[in-house]
Parts: sequence; structure tokens; C-alpha cells
Amino acid sequence: MNKILKLALRDYNASVRTKGFVIGLALAPVFMCGSLIAMLFLQDHVDTADKTIAVIDWSGEITSHLIDETTRRNENDLIDAETGQKARPAYIIETVVPDRYDSDRQKLVLSDRVRSGKLDAFIEIGRSVVDPRENRAEARLAYHSESSALSDVRRWMFWPINNRIKMLRVEQTGLEVDKVDFITNRIALEPLGLVSIDKSTGAVKEAKRSNEGEAIGIPMGMAMLFFMMMMMGAMPLLGTVLEEKMQRISEVLLGSISPFGLMMGKLLGGVGISITAICVYVVLGIITAQYLDVGEYVPYHILPWFFVYMVMAIFMFGAINSAVGAACNDQKELQSLTFPAILPMIIPMFVLFPVIKEPTSTFATVLSLIPPFTPMLMVLRKAAPTTIPEWQPWVGLLGVALFTLFAIWAGGRVFRVGLLMQGGPPKIRDLLRWAIRG
Amino acid sequence: MHAVEIEDVTKSFGEKKAVSFLSLQVPRGCVYGFIGPNGSGKTTTLRMIMNIIFPDCGSIRVFGQSRTTACTDRIGYLPEERGLYKKMKVKPLLKFYGEMKGGRDLDTEIDRWLERLDLSEWAHKPVDSLSKGMSQKVQFISAVVARPEMVILDEPFTGLDPVNTDVIRDAVLELQAAGTTVIFSTHDMATAERMCDYIFMIFRGRKVLDGTLSEIRDQYGSDTVRVRIDGDAGLLREIPGVSRIRDHGRMQELRIAEGHDTQEIVSAIMSQTRVTYFEQTRPSLHDIFVRIAGYNAEEETDE
Repeated sequence: MNKILKLALRDYNASVRTKGFVIGLALAPVFMCGSLIAMLFLQDHVDTADKTIAVIDWSGEITSHLIDETTRRNENDLIDAETGQKARPAYIIETVVPDRYDSDRQKLVLSDRVRSGKLDAFIEIGRSVVDPRENRAEARLAYHSESSALSDVRRWMFWPINNRIKMLRVEQTGLEVDKVDFITNRIALEPLGLVSIDKSTGAVKEAKRSNEGEAIGIPMGMAMLFFMMMMMGAMPLLGTVLEEKMQRISEVLLGSISPFGLMMGKLLGGVGISITAICVYVVLGIITAQYLDVGEYVPYHILPWFFVYMVMAIFMFGAINSAVGAACNDQKELQSLTFPAILPMIIPMFVLFPVIKEPTSTFATVLSLIPPFTPMLMVLRKAAPTTIPEWQPWVGLLGVALFTLFAIWAGGRVFRVGLLMQGGPPKIRDLLRWAIRG
Repeated sequence: MHAVEIEDVTKSFGEKKAVSFLSLQVPRGCVYGFIGPNGSGKTTTLRMIMNIIFPDCGSIRVFGQSRTTACTDRIGYLPEERGLYKKMKVKPLLKFYGEMKGGRDLDTEIDRWLERLDLSEWAHKPVDSLSKGMSQKVQFISAVVARPEMVILDEPFTGLDPVNTDVIRDAVLELQAAGTTVIFSTHDMATAERMCDYIFMIFRGRKVLDGTLSEIRDQYGSDTVRVRIDGDAGLLREIPGVSRIRDHGRMQELRIAEGHDTQEIVSAIMSQTRVTYFEQTRPSLHDIFVRIAGYNAEEETDE
């Protein structure tokens, strides 16, 4: 045991006491959540260049209202109140008289103007938009630009055009505008949690308002963190075991320690590295959450499960990766076996959204009880706002513990044979044979 | 009790039988040389003694203990290909390897060995800054730093220049003088002859020689003569009764075929040219090796 710890300590120091570890610690979240962080950071950084939109109004009743609305918007909504600087683009409407003789040619000309950058978009308002019963084919609103689907202009234009259509329809039917507004007034369905009893006062506590950050952000964050920890603790074993085999360090160590002890030392080293990293992230995360006054959202109750499952997962995947690394003879062979080796770690990443959305569904439950997927998916389900049955994390833990023991046992046998084996590239069949026969 | 007792050990890798029904006893405190061509089973035997790989059948006892890792702490091991963490500094590396062997008071021992092998100034340098010879010496220290009762050295002199070869050889003999049992494998027959109390030769997985150098040479009799002649050594090929000639340049070594006599051979040579030197000798270890392993092995040992 003493030797295993010494070996683990050496591997731990060799990884943690490097600039690479510190840099990796800082950059890993950036790489993992880079797009999300970039989106949050850049969401207010929009293009403020004015947009010119041509409007072909076949109905002849919408454009003037649209010009009024865009003028109002341009006067009131473009300047950031805090900074006093322009924060949004102005929308400039260019009225185009419909060409009754060759409308297709007219749209082609406008499209060419968009392509040449002289125009940003053009809207075609159908003749029958106010009363589609007249001619359904002409009751359409069309927005033409080079990227219509993602256009903010299109999203904004939808409302003034439709409001104008609604007003015209109200006028046609002789109804009063106020009454129509009253009838069509919608009330939001608030997303709330469940009520509970305040233990200190005994009173019923008001339900907390649920938000996307809590419903998706926290489970996703936990899953990403879990994946990062496995990447840091278990994944490097593929390479380091092979490297030590190629450099004959393994043979020297096998003169002092059993193959099983050698593998356990490496696994403990990996666990140590991950625990160090997770401690750094958790402490920094809590400090940041407190600083941002969102400390109530830190899922403290999940942390013990997170730690236990993380340690199990690193032992489980670390044993598999050590065995694969030991079975290979060079980097090329390792590359061909890396994907199958890490596939069980990646599969849970593909089902994150369905599991977060329905954590108690049969799909989520069954998948989270399959041992290689249990650690990440059970943590994910625990982190979701929906309460999962109390027994499931315990049963999952038992399954993972048994599978981990099996992985260490089988991995240890492959590790022992593979470490001194030279020659051709290993096949999955060879690995299974070594695991069974030893 | 012997340091190592091997009884009827067989080890196969797939279809290939690496070691076949091998029995061997290594007395304590001796220097035991393992010789044999490449792929003959030397390293496999050494690894089985180290308990790194297990025999398919037979038994191996080290210091009276059978198949246990407990006794590996009493054995220092220098593998055939060197295994050092390249990024580690020399002294911490030696301390780590020493600790893995359960060594005590390692700092003193490391300093002593570094000084002994002229590596003191490299103690705090990373391994990847060392030359090949220096790395070899560091690897040697890693095998002996925990003061083992036995050291197993697989090709310890490979890649060393003559100066460093002498340094390691002296260190090995010093270990023996202190009571350490030394087993080493080598391709260098001259080194084996000079250093070993016992020599064991394995060929195609089977033991073909085992004993003291004197015993082994006695087995092969006095069928060799060394001569120096005036003129072309080529004429020796015409002498009847010579089964093999080894040309050393200024001297030729002749093996006398069975049924022929030394006097008869010398007379035949003298009838054709002038003999300036003559010596009747027993075959060298090199000769014996070549006789067993054949011409291909001779090429290996000449390297």
C-alpha cells in the first residue's frame, strides 16, 4: 500500500506541479463552455450600423404604420441610457411601389441590391393579409435577406406589421379596440418550484421562481464539470501508461510493485489530480456565486454525490484506459483504440438535454442505471430541479461500485499482460482474451 | 540456501517457447553470468526471477520464497532497456526508485553512489539532459541504491564506453565484495570470463552451459592451438586436421578436428612455413559460445 501511495504521489506531483496543469485548469472551462461564455459576453455587442429595409406593400395599408413605428423606435430605443451611446441600429423603411406587371423582376432587382450591400432586406406584404379569406395565396408576409432566419430585424418587424393588421381587422369587423385587447389579453404562466415548510418558523414558504439558469444551467454545468474531471483524471492514463511502457519505466517499476499495484497507483494519482481540480473549481465557484449574490443557486446537496461518483468514474474509466494504454505499442495504435475507450464517457453527453428535460422518464432512469453512464447521468438528474426517487442514486452507486471493481479486476489483468507485450497492434478480441485468461 | 533456485521452469509466449524446462541454482554472494544469443530466453528468465512475469510451469524460489512480491525488495533490477522518467531530476528520481524498493537512509546512499560514479554535479539536473552513458549509470544506481541483497543486471554494459564500462564493472565487483549476489546477462564474453564466478548459457530456451568457467572449459578439452606464422595465413586452410580457423590478424586460432593430434598439426604447419609463436590452449568462452550458437551468434558477440 505504501508503494501504491508513493507511486500515486509521484504521478500526482508530476501532473499538478506543472504550469501546464495550472493553465489547463484555467482554460478547461473556457474550452468546455467557451461558446456559452462568448454568447453571454457578446450578447449586447450588436451591429449598430443602420439597416435599410425596402417594403413592397400590395395591400397598401401597412407601410405608413410601419414607418411611424420604426420612426418611434429610432427616436426612443437606439441610445443606451447608461452609456449614452448608440446601442442598436436604426431601421430605415424604403417604400417600393409594387410592380403590377413584373413582380418577379422587381424582387430580383431588390435581391441584387441586398447582395451588393445597398439594401439589408426587403419585405413583401401580400394583398390579402388583412382578410385572408379573399385570397389565401396572397395573404402572406415575406421577409427576404441573406440570413432571414436569424435576423433581429425580421423578429422586430413581425410585431408592428401584425399589430397594424389586427387593428385593420378590428376596424373592418366594427369591434372596439379596447374590448378586443381585453379579450385577447394573455396572462403568463409563471414557472415556479414547489412550496415547502420553513424549518425555522414552521410556516409555508412561497415557491421559488424557476428560471432557465436553474433548470438547465446548473445541471449542464455539473455535467460539464464532471466530464472535465474525467478528462483530467482518467483520460491522460491512456497516454501516460503507453509512454511509460515505451520508455521501459513500467518494467523498472514492475521490479518493485505488482502490476495491480502499479495500476492502482496510477488510478489514485488520477483521482488526486481530479480532486484537486474539482476543489479549485468548487471553491472558486462558491466564492463567485456569493460575490454575484446567486449563492442560493449553488447545489450544495449534490456535491457529496458528485465527489463519490467522480472518484468511482475515475477508477472505472481509469482502469479501462490504463489497460488500453498498456496494450498498445505506439501512439498510432493508441489513436485507433482511443475512441472506443472513451466512448462510454462521451455517450452521456449526447443525452444531456433529454435527461435534463425529463429526469424521471423511463429513458433517463434506465440509462442512468447502466454503470458506465451512471456517474454523469445520475449527477445530472440529481442536479435537475425535478426530484428523482431517493433509491435510484444508491442503486446506481452500488452498480457503479460493482462495475468499477470488475473494471479494475479485468483492467488489471489486461494491464499486466499488455505492459510487457510487444509486437502487433492489439485487437478488442485480444483485450477480452487477456481479461478472461489473465 | 541459494539466492535463486529454478526448477523445471517453462515459459511460452503464444506458440513460441521462450524457456524450456530450465533448472538453475544461483549461490549467494557470487557473480553469475547469463549468456546466450538474442532471443534465447535470458531476459525472460531474469524477468521470471524478478516476478515480473510468471512461469507456465515449474517453480522459482528467491531467497527461499516462492512466487511472492515480498522478496523483490531484496533484489535490485536493471532492465535491458533503460527506464527513467525524463523530466525528473536525477536525485529525486533515484530517491523515488529507492523508496519503491523500501530503501532507507537513501540520501546518503544516493550521494555516495553519485560521487562514486562521478555524477554528483548532475544530481539536480533533469534526466533528459544526461548523455546516454550517464543515463546508464543513473539507471545502475537506481538498481543498487536501496542496498539489495541481490542485483539483476540485464545487459549492464551495453552502450557504455570503455571507461564507463570499467567504472560499472568495478562497482559490480565492489557489490560482490560486500556480499551482494550479482546476476547479469551479457553478450561480451570477455567481460563474462573476467567477472563471473559462474556462467550459464541459454540457447533457444534451453540450458546448454552451467558452471564455473574452468568447469565449462574443461568440458571442451584442449582442442585449440594459437599460432603466429610468417607469410600468408591462408595456407593454414590447407592443413589437414584443422576443423576451424579464427583469424585474429597477427595470430590465428585453430581448432583441431576430432582424431587428430596437436603435434601432427604443428608439424604440418612447420613443413610449409616458419612458426613464430605457438600455444596450446583450452577454448575461450567466445569459442564455446560460437560452437553452440553457430555463426550467426558469432556475429552478435563480435559487435
